Amino acid sequence: MTGQDLSREQDIVYELRDVVMIYSGQQERANDGISLDVRRGEIFGILGDNGAGKTTLVRQMVNLLQPTSGSIRLFGRPVADDPFAATTRVGFMPQDGAVLDSLTVGELLFVTARLRGESRSAARSERDRLIDLWRLTAVRRRPCRHLSGGQLRLVQLALATATTPPVVILDEPTANLDPQRRQLVWKNLRQLNREQGTTVIFITHDAVEAEKIIERVAILRAGRVVAIGEPASLKRRVDRQVRLELEAGSEDPPALGAGLRFRRLPSGRWLALVPKDQLSEVLQRLDLERYEDFRIYSCTLEDLYLHYAERAGD
Amino acid sequence: MTDRRGRQAFACQLAELLLVQLANWRWGWRSMVVLGMAAPLLSITMLGILIRDSGVVALEYVLVGNVVLALMFENQNKVSSNFAYMRAKGTLRFVATLPVYKSALIVATVVAFLLLALPAVVVTIAAGSRILGVALAPSPWVLLVVPLCAIPLASIGALVGSMARTPEEAGSVSLLLTLLLLSLGPVLVPPELLPEALNLAGYASPATYAASALRQVLLGPVSGRLALDLGVLAGLSVAVLWFVERRLRWRVG
Repeated sequence: MTGQDLSREQDIVYELRDVVMIYSGQQERANDGISLDVRRGEIFGILGDNGAGKTTLVRQMVNLLQPTSGSIRLFGRPVADDPFAATTRVGFMPQDGAVLDSLTVGELLFVTARLRGESRSAARSERDRLIDLWRLTAVRRRPCRHLSGGQLRLVQLALATATTPPVVILDEPTANLDPQRRQLVWKNLRQLNREQGTTVIFITHDAVEAEKIIERVAILRAGRVVAIGEPASLKRRVDRQVRLELEAGSEDPPALGAGLRFRRLPSGRWLALVPKDQLSEVLQRLDLERYEDFRIYSCTLEDLYLHYAERAGD
Repeated sequence: MTDRRGRQAFACQLAELLLVQLANWRWGWRSMVVLGMAAPLLSITMLGILIRDSGVVALEYVLVGNVVLALMFENQNKVSSNFAYMRAKGTLRFVATLPVYKSALIVATVVAFLLLALPAVVVTIAAGSRILGVALAPSPWVLLVVPLCAIPLASIGALVGSMARTPEEAGSVSLLLTLLLLSLGPVLVPPELLPEALNLAGYASPATYAASALRQVLLGPVSGRLALDLGVLAGLSVAVLWFVERRLRWRVG
């Protein structure tokens, strides 16, 4: 191995090459030739619509699933070669809320720290640190089976980050969380990354908020990576567009012409990505007085996702 | 940043996972009282009334058979339901993301439910002997025999729970197995009262060997047959636990 190879290996946390996953009894590819690298110490986001293959991908990265073909290397070694390779280096938060729910929150954090190699006294300190960090004091003695969805999500985040692993992989870390708790999640993940150098990989649908911390992003559609890179760099490719959002109430959205169309957002608002050179024409065509609210702003990470996902679908 | 995360030795993993599984007592004690204690005692009472004139040997079979029943409810069925529940709920996947051996989880689960079953077994033996008027003559071997009777039954439960598609399916199959194993061979009923076919089938049932071993160490006398019983039970435990370890869906690699 040359010095250059060694340096690259030390810099790359995950190296995925042509990963294909076909579930038993199915013909459709859940992952279809995914290749990507995740660098040490970066915050890497995975975006994609439902069924894009994001959860399948991260489960393979933590060795819970075996790819049908292709390779996944963690710190330079095939992840499936050593059953403890991922479990000792990666803190994983699955999408579902499954934990050892016969235990209280404090007990579960203690046991997790113990099983990750800490002494009893160190595990106690780690439990107390996590309870404080993730604001779990009020539920510390509550059995996990009696937690609300939001409380359980914070417990899962505490478990994934317990003993500060070099890598954490989080499957929708802010799902079921209120805005205050979402802020706490992004703050803690950013802090973990800055202070401990932890590589953070996460799946999210919350692209607008995730944009605050994402350093690189992969956009998945139908099992394939359709775009990968730094958000700013990807945005440059689509920044000839602006985001036009309006509140149309129960009305159908207006026609925009020139191949442009509105799409309905989960909030109920309507969104169109409009080329900058067509904006004035579009605004003239729209009678904006008719609408309760409208906004025009530059491209966001969510727009990037919509742009690439839509383009790949055409 | 150095990778300071490691993993514990097998014994330490086993101890921690044992404590985790013992915490099931918090939720399982009601069913332990109902199924593990009340069901065998009711069965002892009813069968005792029916066969009170059949002699002391028949009463001894009823007592020991119901101890086996308590072990089945508290070990086989509980372990089966625990594994099926862990699979269905995703808990097994959560444990698989931690640096633990699969075998540590399986052994910890089996041992935990053995310990959780002990109150039901003790109550069944003590209360059952009084109800039936059967004199106990416990041997020190009982300390070895009870675990060796419980572990193969719990291992069968682990096998059922790890293979069933749903917790409901695991519950049904395990209950059916309980009834089947109790019916095959001289477990609740003396061999003289059973058809020859059932006596022969009993050689294939772990419950037969468990009942035979328990009769010897609880009521006496201990004979050379105990070695055969314990050998079969120990061999079955190892074989089934090995198969469960191979069969249980876990992480790749």
